[in-house]
Amino acid sequence: MTNFLQLLVSGVAMGAIYTLTAKGLFIAHLATHRLNFGQGDFMMVAAFLVMALLIAGVHALLAVILVVLALCVMGYLLERIAIRPLDALAERSTPYAWVLTTAGIALILQNLVELVWGGSAQYAPPLFSQSRDSVVIVMGVGIFVEEIAIIVVAFLVVGALYWFLFASRWGKAVYAVAFNPEAANLLGVDVRGVIVLVFVIASVLAGVAGVLIGPLVSLHPHIGLVFTIKALAVASLGGFSNPVGILIGGLLFGVAEAFSNYWDSAFGDLYPLLFVLASLAIKPSGLFGERHADVR
Amino acid sequence: MYRNLGYLLAIAIAAAFPFLVPNNFFVHLAQIFAYTTIAVIGLNLLLGLSGQMSLGHGGFYALGAYGSALLAGSLGWPLLFSIPAGVGVALVAGILVGLLCLRTRGLYLAMATLAFGFIVEIAAQRWTSLTGGTMGLFGVPQLDFGNFRMGPVYFFWFAAAMLLLVQIGSDYLFASRYGRRLQAIKESEPFARTIGLNVPIWRTAIFALSAALAGLAGALFAHQSGFISSEAFSIRLTIGLLIATVIGGLGRSYGPIFGAAILIGIAETTAALHEIGLLLYGGILLTVILVFPEGAIGLAGKLIPRKTAKAPPRRDAEEARSALVLPQAKGAALDIVGVSKSYSGVVALSDLNMSIRPGTVHALIGPNGAGKSTFINVVAGLYQGDKGTISIDGKDVTGTSAHARARLGLARTFQNLQLIQGVSVLDNVMLGVRPERGAPGDFLAWLAGGGHERGERRRAEAILEFLNISHLRDLRPKDLSYGHRKLVELARAIAQQPSIMLLDEPVAGLNAQEAASIARVVSDLRDRGTTILLVEHNMDFVMGLSDRITVLDFGHRIAEGTPEEIQKNPDVIRAYLGTDEAAA
Repeated sequence: MTNFLQLLVSGVAMGAIYTLTAKGLFIAHLATHRLNFGQGDFMMVAAFLVMALLIAGVHALLAVILVVLALCVMGYLLERIAIRPLDALAERSTPYAWVLTTAGIALILQNLVELVWGGSAQYAPPLFSQSRDSVVIVMGVGIFVEEIAIIVVAFLVVGALYWFLFASRWGKAVYAVAFNPEAANLLGVDVRGVIVLVFVIASVLAGVAGVLIGPLVSLHPHIGLVFTIKALAVASLGGFSNPVGILIGGLLFGVAEAFSNYWDSAFGDLYPLLFVLASLAIKPSGLFGERHADVR
Repeated sequence: MYRNLGYLLAIAIAAAFPFLVPNNFFVHLAQIFAYTTIAVIGLNLLLGLSGQMSLGHGGFYALGAYGSALLAGSLGWPLLFSIPAGVGVALVAGILVGLLCLRTRGLYLAMATLAFGFIVEIAAQRWTSLTGGTMGLFGVPQLDFGNFRMGPVYFFWFAAAMLLLVQIGSDYLFASRYGRRLQAIKESEPFARTIGLNVPIWRTAIFALSAALAGLAGALFAHQSGFISSEAFSIRLTIGLLIATVIGGLGRSYGPIFGAAILIGIAETTAALHEIGLLLYGGILLTVILVFPEGAIGLAGKLIPRKTAKAPPRRDAEEARSALVLPQAKGAALDIVGVSKSYSGVVALSDLNMSIRPGTVHALIGPNGAGKSTFINVVAGLYQGDKGTISIDGKDVTGTSAHARARLGLARTFQNLQLIQGVSVLDNVMLGVRPERGAPGDFLAWLAGGGHERGERRRAEAILEFLNISHLRDLRPKDLSYGHRKLVELARAIAQQPSIMLLDEPVAGLNAQEAASIARVVSDLRDRGTTILLVEHNMDFVMGLSDRITVLDFGHRIAEGTPEEIQKNPDVIRAYLGTDEAAA
């Protein structure tokens, strides 16, 4: 029982991280049918930045604000460097060029982080608690404070994202661009602005995930790829179109991973991924997705 | 013929190369070049020709390497068996991963292959009892044909021979109907299905072939130096192969040769800069894609002026039309019984019955939103109806897919034209022409040069001439006017020699003269026996051409009869013009 509850909380915490990262993929894909294959690397950069600021003695809140601002700038630059120029190339461009350009940025980021902080594993100080292993006792079981804080913050951010998507004017603009960029443009939507916005939001979501995950894992410059892969898996469970599906998929993925890691410490992290691949073969539009086709 | 001279020249260069270079290091580089190019060719076929992305080719490469290394090392298989077995492992994995693209594609495939490559890498790292992990697997038998001193040269010759065979295969794919069809699948899946291609099979096959080529490269790599470690199969390998594919010239059969050479050149000159290796890779990837998207071949092509296709003088219409006598078609009957279709509650077709007699023009008309396009798609098999049966000449085809119906003699045109931009107008028409030779015969004819696909080409040219657009045959569809594009689409459908032709708004957007010439073609087709189902808004066209007309409104059939009966039918007039009460 002790283990069960601890694993569940750890799983939900990691699942919340995956959900945040996957939401970034979702929102960029929704509006542009492209996304950042370096999403995990953006997360990694944020984790390193917040670690460096905390170690340098910057107040936690200020550190988080600075990192989020830095990720805004990164998201903007990503759109300018890796996404926008492809439109100018139009049909001269490579199929799936955006996969390669965003992956190229990810490689550069990995290398830069390695040059600054070295290639070995680092440990970030906790954000919310006194030390990495502070616990609270819940129903007689020790639960990490940090994990609980992560879950709370992640849900607040996801809630804010839903408000943005479904209740704000910008959210409507995102859906308008997703439906038809040309029509949206004619209706006075700033299409380019929306595209920049979704990549900035995606980047900030990766940033929040990075800030939160720092104290949970050992950081190294090549940690990002795994998170990109898992976030893609989670987003595809939701069919890249269903934000609620992504939330459920992310939590399930995190919990499943926590338990399969416990069960098989050598290859446990691979089973949820294999499960997602298999489920894609059976239900290609995702467990929660829909698919539309119109041929004329 | 120049092509075969090129192959002979390549053989001569490869044979002489080891004796021309100052030391064995260059032979070593040449070995790397030979097997790397094989993997890059595989990626070029996948990404350049079929438009599918793989971020997991390092995984197939690793499977080929471990498969062959373990069978030869632990089980003592001779290399000439273990290498094909290693390729087989990669092929099977390719089929399994490729099965994902039976129903998914694009982003999902990129994601699935990324995950696949990651899983293989992790397994190679952690399954140390089998793979040796990062410490590696020592004592893998080397491919030296029993001669230690000359071994590297023999290995190079062997790898170069493999490369030549793979390159010939790639050249054939690019030059033949297979390349054309893959191009069609890449651009428009509905189009590909309409010309009878089983799209998922094609997608999976090209993916598996690409994976097998990566496996062959990996197997050769394993037996090059006698040592492999999981370090070699990281995401960097996949990225490196992708860089080579793009930098050489994506979608050109000779791109991989340049790409692999440039990649190896970069790797060697920057070997001392390994601290910023990823930075360089990322930078090169961005630069190539954003600045030189056509790669080395595209760049070279810009320096050498290409001869422009000259347009032959337009012929007099009457003279041209006599050049082709359309073959007699055996028109089939098309029976639709009780077909319904709704989209999440909205009824598009309701219990529709229609019986189209062989060799007649049957028009389907109705206001916008009446369900006409849905109907065509259900008949063509691109949509499945919810209820009802569809039969061709009494044969129930309700459950069959679009490509199967196309093979039964159903051809269609699209309202939103589906032309393949990556190939010429003539090739678009040839996509519809039934091949005269099987694959082996066609390959041999291609290898011999000259007469490859001559018959098919002549037939496609005759159809273009019949439609009076043969002067456009070397242009790309996007360079044509709208009216001409409609004619090309019609030409492709005629090339399929259908027994039933579905025409979805063939004259929408055309001027009166163009519409009249299409009307002549359609009535010609009918006179030679083809059954035609016509959806069209242009009433002059419909009334002048049709034997029978069915009128749809809100998914219901409101009238059917001859043109004269339809013009007098009060229900039809009401549907189109509204009633007096509504007008008042």
